[in-house]
Amino acid sequence: MIYRIIGLVCILTSILVLPYWIYVPVLFIGIVLFPFFWEGIVLVFLINVIHGGSVEFPAMLTSSLVLFVLVVLIVMLPIRKRLRSYV
Amino acid sequence: MKVNYLPKNRSRSVYFRRVLILIVIFVSGAMIFSLLNKFINSSVAPVWKVENRVTQAFSAGVIFFNSQKSLVAENMMLKERIHSLETELFVLSVEQKREDTFLELLGRKGESNKIIATVLTRPPQTPYDVITIDVGSNESITTGSKISMPEGSLLGTVSAVFSKSAQVKLFSSSGEETNAVLERNNVPITLVGLGSGNFRFELPRDIVIEVGDRILSSDVGTRHLATVGEVNIRPTDSFKEILAKSPINIFTLRFIFIEP
Repeated sequence: MIYRIIGLVCILTSILVLPYWIYVPVLFIGIVLFPFFWEGIVLVFLINVIHGGSVEFPAMLTSSLVLFVLVVLIVMLPIRKRLRSYV
Repeated sequence: MKVNYLPKNRSRSVYFRRVLILIVIFVSGAMIFSLLNKFINSSVAPVWKVENRVTQAFSAGVIFFNSQKSLVAENMMLKERIHSLETELFVLSVEQKREDTFLELLGRKGESNKIIATVLTRPPQTPYDVITIDVGSNESITTGSKISMPEGSLLGTVSAVFSKSAQVKLFSSSGEETNAVLERNNVPITLVGLGSGNFRFELPRDIVIEVGDRILSSDVGTRHLATVGEVNIRPTDSFKEILAKSPINIFTLRFIFIEP
């Protein structure tokens, strides 16, 4: 749990101060590393809001980055069970 | 009678439950963030102001430790740059005076009270070619206000205004269409933003255009919008594709002017 919180803070900090070509991959690494990383959706909405993506309600649902994160999260649910982090 | 379900079915129900939770978070998150948009932006702006100050202080510290040789070289380069800019400024001021006289005669002299703003975030920190500036409704900025560089070239328009900050959508933002005119032959064109300060547009193959040609805004002020960077033409096409770039480096923006 502590790693999850540290990871969340790291991603949040990178969204605030680092270029997008760092924080977007870091977000996807978080999605792969942490099981059922629903916080990813919240973080990607935050990226949209603070960095000037679409902010109106229906348009926000069709944002490519947000949709991509949702799809990756859904795809990762069964795949992550089959992944082993040990040899 | 006791019924034993297969573990496979149980795992499938867990999977669908989790998918449902994700979709609920997705829809409710969109609603909550669209409602809290102004509050979140107002809360984040002070963080970026502090970051800007720390970055400036750090870069000043790095300059202090630069070697004498590199400082002398930089000094020489800057002197040459000042000389070339002074010449350019002289030519421009003569042309500007001529244009101002012409506009006054037509009764179209624009009275603009420009506001200077500091850029808080710029690409590549923002993925959508959007910049955040440190003035908002406190300085009577409105949505649609034009943004320009101190040198005069147009950059974009204000897309969202908050209490002490605002977001500016650059003309080079992906998919953004801007009316413009080619300086060489006064042909009206529509620039389409490609992101990262780049544009594209199409022209009939017979129209002459060369790398380095200037593209101007279509308003009375005719300000510099972009410079032609590449001309792609295939023998079978009746149109040619032109790639253009912003005259300034959007990755190093520090100050801009706003025309409310």
